[in-house]
This record gives sequence, C-alpha cells and structure tokens, in this order.
Amino acid sequence: MEMQIEERGFLKKLDFNLIFVILALNIIGLINLFSATHDPETVGINRLFTMQMVWFSGGWILFFLVTLIDYKVFLKMAYPLYVINVIFLIVVDLIGNIAYGAQRWLDLGFFKYQPSETMKLVIALVLAKVLAEKSPISGLGLKELAMPVFLTLIPFGLTVSQPDLGTAMMIASVAGSMLLFVGIRKTILISLIITGILIIPLAWNFGLKEYQKNRVLTFIDPNRDPQGAGYNSIQSKIAVGSGKFFGKGFRNGTQSQLDFLPERHTDFIYSVLSEEHGFVGSFTVFTLFIILLLIGIKIASQARDKYGALLVVGCLSIIFWHMFVNIGMVIGMLPIVGIPLPIMSYGGSGMLTTFVCLGIISSVSARRYIF
Amino acid sequence: MNEYLSDPEEAKDYLPRYKYIYALVAFTFVIFIMRLWYLQVFQGEELRLFSEKNRFKIKKIQAPRGMVIDREGKILVDNFPGFEVSITPQYATELEKTAHIISPILGLPTEKIIHQVKVEKKKNGPFRPVVIKNNLNRDEVARLDRLRINNPGLDISMTIQRSYLLKENGAQLFGYVGEISKDELPKYNKNLRPDEQFSQGDIVGKNGLEVVYDKDLRGSSGQDFIQVDARGREITSLSVPEFIGEVSLTREPIPGRTLMLTIDKDIQEAAQASFVAKERIGGAVALNPKNGEILAWVNGPSFDPTEFSKGISSKMWTELINHPFKPLRNKVIQDHFPPGSTFKAIVALAALEEKEVTKSSTVFCPGFYKFGRRIYHCHQKRGHGYVNVVQALEQSCDVFFYKMGLALGIDRIAKYARSFGFGKRTGIHMVNEVPGLVPTEEWKQKTFGEPWQPGENLSNAIGQGFFLTTALQLAQAFTSFANAGPVFQPHFVKKVLDIDGKVIQDIKEELKFDTVTGQNTEVKVSKQNMDIIREGLWMVGNGPSGTAKWHKVANTPIAGKTGTVQLFTLSADQVFADCKSRPIKQRHHGWFVAYAPADNPEIVVSVLAEHACSGSGGAAPIARDIIEAYMKKYHPEKFVAAAPKIIPNKETPDNGNAD
Repeated sequence: MEMQIEERGFLKKLDFNLIFVILALNIIGLINLFSATHDPETVGINRLFTMQMVWFSGGWILFFLVTLIDYKVFLKMAYPLYVINVIFLIVVDLIGNIAYGAQRWLDLGFFKYQPSETMKLVIALVLAKVLAEKSPISGLGLKELAMPVFLTLIPFGLTVSQPDLGTAMMIASVAGSMLLFVGIRKTILISLIITGILIIPLAWNFGLKEYQKNRVLTFIDPNRDPQGAGYNSIQSKIAVGSGKFFGKGFRNGTQSQLDFLPERHTDFIYSVLSEEHGFVGSFTVFTLFIILLLIGIKIASQARDKYGALLVVGCLSIIFWHMFVNIGMVIGMLPIVGIPLPIMSYGGSGMLTTFVCLGIISSVSARRYIF
Repeated sequence: MNEYLSDPEEAKDYLPRYKYIYALVAFTFVIFIMRLWYLQVFQGEELRLFSEKNRFKIKKIQAPRGMVIDREGKILVDNFPGFEVSITPQYATELEKTAHIISPILGLPTEKIIHQVKVEKKKNGPFRPVVIKNNLNRDEVARLDRLRINNPGLDISMTIQRSYLLKENGAQLFGYVGEISKDELPKYNKNLRPDEQFSQGDIVGKNGLEVVYDKDLRGSSGQDFIQVDARGREITSLSVPEFIGEVSLTREPIPGRTLMLTIDKDIQEAAQASFVAKERIGGAVALNPKNGEILAWVNGPSFDPTEFSKGISSKMWTELINHPFKPLRNKVIQDHFPPGSTFKAIVALAALEEKEVTKSSTVFCPGFYKFGRRIYHCHQKRGHGYVNVVQALEQSCDVFFYKMGLALGIDRIAKYARSFGFGKRTGIHMVNEVPGLVPTEEWKQKTFGEPWQPGENLSNAIGQGFFLTTALQLAQAFTSFANAGPVFQPHFVKKVLDIDGKVIQDIKEELKFDTVTGQNTEVKVSKQNMDIIREGLWMVGNGPSGTAKWHKVANTPIAGKTGTVQLFTLSADQVFADCKSRPIKQRHHGWFVAYAPADNPEIVVSVLAEHACSGSGGAAPIARDIIEAYMKKYHPEKFVAAAPKIIPNKETPDNGNAD
C-alpha cells in the first residue's frame, strides 16, 4: 500500500483544494496585514510586514516538508517531543519566577521561542498516539482516560502558572476535543460535567488572577471595567460594524489606521479586515476558514488508519479553537483573550505552528486510503 | 508499530463521530455570520456614522504629584497650573499658515515652529501633540484660543507644573522631574504590572527625592473616556450610541502622597543664604544628633529645578553640565575628599584606646618632624611646643599626630575609622552617594601592588593620604562625639501622608551604631576617652588657641574640628601663604564639622567648602551661621540677655593657617 501511494508521485498526492484555501487566506492575510502595519508617514514597507513574509515563506517550506514525511514518523517522535516540550515549559516557568512577571518565551537570539505555542501541537500528537492504540467503540472508560488526562494536565498546569490562561485553555480545548471525538462513556461524561460545574466556582476563587477575572466579568458586563478590556471590546465592535456591507476600502479604516484599535496587527487583525472590507470581506475570510475545516474533516474521515484520523482531528481543533475564540472576541461574543487568528495574525511562533498543523493534515491526505 | 494501526477498517470506527464535528462547525458558522450581519448590516449605518463623526478615545489624566513640606508643614515643592499651546501634526493640515499666525503672539520664528513640529512628528508619531510653548500668560491664552477654530491641530491645554518654592535652594536634595522619553519606557516598565505601566510623556522623578520617593509622590493616573472629532479635538456633548449604553469609563486620578521632610525651612534658608553670601562652592548638612533627622542640606553653586518642569532648554542644560563647579552634583554625598585634620579626632581616640598616649602625656612639637630622609612640616612653622592630646586637637598640631600615626599603624587607625562609619555609604535614601575610602595595608597591596610605606602612616594620620570621606559621613562620625556614643540613621523624610493628611508612614529614629557600647561597631571605646576627645573638640571652638575660636554664637559653646584638604603637595613656605592668590581651581578645600551646644548637642553641622583655602576660614563661618539660625529659632532666650558682644567674621585671619 505504501508503495502504491509513492508511485503516484508527489504532485498527484497533494490535496490542491486544501492548498488553494490556505493560499487564499494567506494572500488576503498579507494584504490585510500590509494595511494594519502601514504607517502613513513612511514610504517604505513596515518591518513587521517584511518579517511576516519571512514567517509565511518558512511556513510553506515546513508545510511541504511535513507533507513529504509519512505521519507515522510523528508516532515515534510523539513522546520524545512531549518530554522536550515539557522541559522547555519548566525552564520558562523558572525564568519567569526569577524575572518578575509573566515570561512566556525563551530568547534564542534570532527568534523568541514560546514553548506553550508548540505544546498545543505536541499534545495533539501524543494524544493521537495514545488514543489510536486504546479506544474502545463503547467509548473511553476511566482506565483509558487516565493516561490522556495525565498527559494534558502537566503542560496545562505549567502554562497556567506562567501565567498564560489563554494558551492553557487552548491546550485543554484541543485535548478535550480529541477525547470527545473518540467518545467518552455516557456515565463518565455526565459525572465529569457535574464535577466541572462544582469545580468552576473553586477555580474562580483560587485559580484566576485578578486581571483574568476582570476580563471575564467585563465580557459579561462591559460597564464594569473602566480600564482596558471594555474599551478594546467597544472599539473593536465599532471597527467591525462601521465596515458596513462593502467596507471603507483598503487602508481607509479609520478605526484601525488612527490607533483606536489596540494590537491591531495581532489579536485584532480580523477587525481591521472587517472595517476595511465590510461584511463581504469578513464573510469571505470566515467562509474560507469553514471550507478549510470541511476539507480537513473529509481528510480525517478518509485517513488510512486511526492515528491519521486522530492527528487530523487534533490539528483541526487547534485551528478551529483559535479561529473561534479570536473572531468571537473581535465581534464581541467572547471575552478579550490574547489568541491570534491563524494565518492572518502577525507572529512567527503562531504562523509556523499553524503551517506544521496544515502540513500534517496534508501528509495524512497524501497517504489516505482511496475507497 | 502495531499492524492494526494501519488498518482502514479500524479508522472506520470513527465515521459515526464526524457528525458531531460537522454540527459544531455549522453551528459556529450560523452564529458568527448572524452576528456579523447584525453588526455590519443592521447596526452598520449607526456605527459608520459614529466612527466617522466622532470617536472614542481614552484620555489619561495625570495625577497631581505629591507635595513636599518641611517639618512644620511649610510647603517646599508644589504644583502650579499652567497653560501650554500645542500642535498635533496629524490634524495640522495648514501647518505653515498656523505657524505664521501664532509666531508673533508667541514671539517665536515661524520656521522654528514648523521645524519643531516636523522633528517631533518624526520622533513620536503624528498623533502626539507637539508643545510649542508653555507657561502662557492670560493674554496669550485669550489670543490663541480664538485661533483654534480656523487652525486645525492647534490646541491649548492646562498642565500641572512642578514648582520648587525655594528655587535654587536645596535643588540637589529635591531633584527634579521630567517626561519619560520613548527610549526610557522599556526600562521603566520592565518590572511593572500591566495596570501600572507608564506611557510616553508621563512625568517621573529624575533626580533627588523626586526619584527616590517617586512611587509615593507619583500617585496613579486616572482616565476619561472622551469623544473626539475627526480632527482629534475633544467633543463634549454628543449622543452616545445605544450599544455603549450608560458606560461610565471615567476613573479619578489618585494624587500622589505628601512627603513631610525633617528639613527645617528656616534653617535651610539660613544655610543657603550663608552659602550664597560667601559665594562658596561645596555642601553643608545639618542634622539633629538625637534622632538623625536632617535639618538642612545645601549645595553650591545651585540651579532652579523648576526649569526642568518647564522643559529645560538645551542651552541651559549644556551650561549646567559644563559648569566648572558642577551645580547638579549633590556635593554633600557625591564629592569625597580626604578628611584633613577633622580626622585627627579619630586618630586621637585610637591612640588613647590603644594606650599609645594618655591624657597627660605630652609630645614636643618643634614645627617639623624628621622621618627617614624626609622632613614632615607642622602647619605652624614655629611649632606648638609641648602639647597633650587635648591641646593637639585644639591647635591641630600635626607633629603630635605624625607620632600617633607611626605608633598606631594604618590598620589600627582603619579599625576606628570604620567603627565611626567611614568607608561605606551612610545608607541615606538618596541617589549617587559615594562610599568614601578607608585604606589598609592589604588594600594598598591589592590596589597598587605595592606594600604600605611607613611614611604613609604620617600623612594618613593627619587625614591627608588615601582616606576619602563625604560631608555626611563626617556629620555622622561627629554625631558619635556629640552624643558620646550613639549614632542614628541620617534621614530626610519624617512622614508620608496621603491626600487627606492621614499618616501612611511615620519614620522614627533608628539607632545605627554606638561606639561606646560597641553596638554594630568593630571596636568599643571607653566613655572616659570619648570625653577627652569631646574636651579637645570643645577647645577647638572655645580654647585660647582653638582653630575655630573666631566663630562664636551668643551663649552657645560650639565644639568641632576644622580641616583642610591639600590638593597639591607644597613646600613649607608656600603651604598657606599664597593660597588666596592662586587660581581658584588650585585652592585647598576646607572642612568644618561641629556640634552645638557643646554640653548638650542639638545640632551637628558638617560643611565642605571647596577651593576656600581652609576649614577655619572657608567652612567654619557657614557652620556658625547655621548654628546661629538654629539657636535663634529654638532658643531665642539666649539672644535676649547677652546681645552686646557681636563677633564680626572679619576678624577671621585670612591666611587661615590655623589648622
């Protein structure tokens, strides 16, 4: 079977639908970032934009490299990668404790490596391995749940203590999505939900920092917070809404061009798009994401084995939850959390992680079983 | 790897599960598209109008900085409102016209205004207003206000200006404030929580108490949620869209705390007046030996820190930096020099304690001392004859101390010096304090790679060798003589008060060391020997041959010690004879450290008079003035009965060769 696929040639193995959707998002993202980072004062191209070109070029190289690799290689590498990544998380935690405040990255000179960013991906790899080996049709029992939950809790705890609640929730969401996909026995699922309901008040009182509580409360009641979060939320809503149906036009977004929007090139990139290209623009990009997800789900269902299917589901859940939380925040449906929008937002770590995810999906697709 | 993993039949197990994923994706799609439709199409018109006509912005409200008051509540540093005119580059569509119109009102050339706006726009971006002129008078404000409508970008705003009411007096103590620049921001924000972060243009302390107590004085800024029009101008009454509702995003600023200093404004002013009248270069500190509270702290020459709040001109800054006598320096703690003869008090005590001399034993001073092949001169060419330890201090006989130095050796002297607080920072809460230096044989070997020379014991015993000290260290050491032992931590701040006058922090006296009980010191000295030194110091101010006997305050015995720092090694004949005729930069520094009233000291004064030739002529008159101001204020009764005898300063011999 392996031979069969190899014989079909690399080009033929590629899923061009997938590549076209990513490329479309990529091009729109760059045009949009150009507008978000453009300084009307200077003639030249912004440094951030140039850097983003570097990141996405690197991203595409990674994409094709990962596509070439048989995803079974990740099966063997899952545990070592997991251990290395956890060690990096511990190192960052220790450095963070010495230098006051939150530190989430290691300075590698040319690049600030953020271990919690790659952890999202590594948790998907390791859970795919564990679940592929042991998942009864009847759903996961307590015995089967123990290992995946344990593997998730370690990086989750380390990321929470950084403190980076947003990324920690992402790790938990990815793991949770995969477990729910495989299926959990009904009795256990129900008791888990009940425990969750009981634990939330406890976590609220003892687990969250004051500013984190504020963000959630501000979301529920924007009048509460006179400081940052309420303001950002309102400004973002004004930006999105004022785009109307066709938008204000490229580089004509007053909200974004005039500094009203905070973090407009990273977390609020989608509001720049919505303001300048209106409902047409925001609908197009959102729909492209949905199409990307649908292509992904199809690839998962055609995977030649359980491991492949689970890998794709894990990678898809990373992309989905980022998109869900980010766009939900920008359009005022979710609290302000520092989560970037895949492919569109500026950022090296995020861009590279996303393209590895997409590469894995493509790799599974290239080796899919044709029914 | 297990074979079954590659089995497509196994992967089919999951097929029934995909419907849940499809459902989740579909649900998200529907909800988000509905929300986008609602915002962009349903509410789009309203939000579009809102974003075009007016916008929300958060305006930072600077908290007024805390006041600084003296021990009696008299205001020393305050904030005064002022008006400034600015141009915001982004909105200044007709910059040249605007600059041309305001130029005659402000008395600034048009090109200069345009140039300034362009330079700062490049530096700070187009949205940061460029301040063209501050401290506008009423007339200017009225005339400019009318121009605002036709000159977009032109604005007048109220500012709070930090004002130092004593002007040049105490400038180095109070310090000054300034704006944080773009480059400094990362440094300031490095260790701050997100809600405490500074932004560009915030005012912070840059020197002196302003920087040391910046956290207390700064307060925390508030904010106002304002609407601005397309030109960035503030709009007051516009309807707020429904979705924002009754949002009140205003937060009141919390004013900074008030610092109540231990400084006494009256004594501070007397000290400054004395410094200015005598045109002295140097520093003086007065403190209360009973608790370490600093009563006065002056440095000369000085500058007016209010200029920094106004935005100091580069010309003035250059002048301050290049001034030959460094007005920005806090000379009381930042300049260290050899202690000169003031150090003889320590050497005398060491000699008594180490039993190298007794109270009654005498040394013959012929006016010089021959050691090896070199002749060491006494400042008194004809000699002092037979002197005991008290007389040696009174007349500052060098020969006596040459012998003591030889007998003791540097390491034994160093032990006593360190016990009196020399050689390390006093720990006063102030920036730029230098530690001074106490040399030892080991130190010299390490620093110069050469062994200690026996001859160096002689010069160091009269405080002329490697020893380095500050005016404050000397005040601290002489506090121990004043109190016969205990020394309290010198400090400036008495209380920290909040805006309602509630005491946040009450700083009490703190015993730092005690040379008689031996607490926190290397050596423990006896009360008897301490009293012998006190007698010697009393004789300096009151004895028939005392080196400071010309400087008296009515009914107030002063005890102390003069000292001179020789900047150059001179032959015996020229030692003091032509000091005053030399260029000022080559003249000796003078020290005087004193306490009064000698029988029950309430004030210790230490004066450094740079390039003033001698301690008795240069430094002692200032100390006298400070002590007199203190006594007149706190013991006026002493001046009522015995007024007639006034000792004019003119009697001070100009050659000043008394020490």
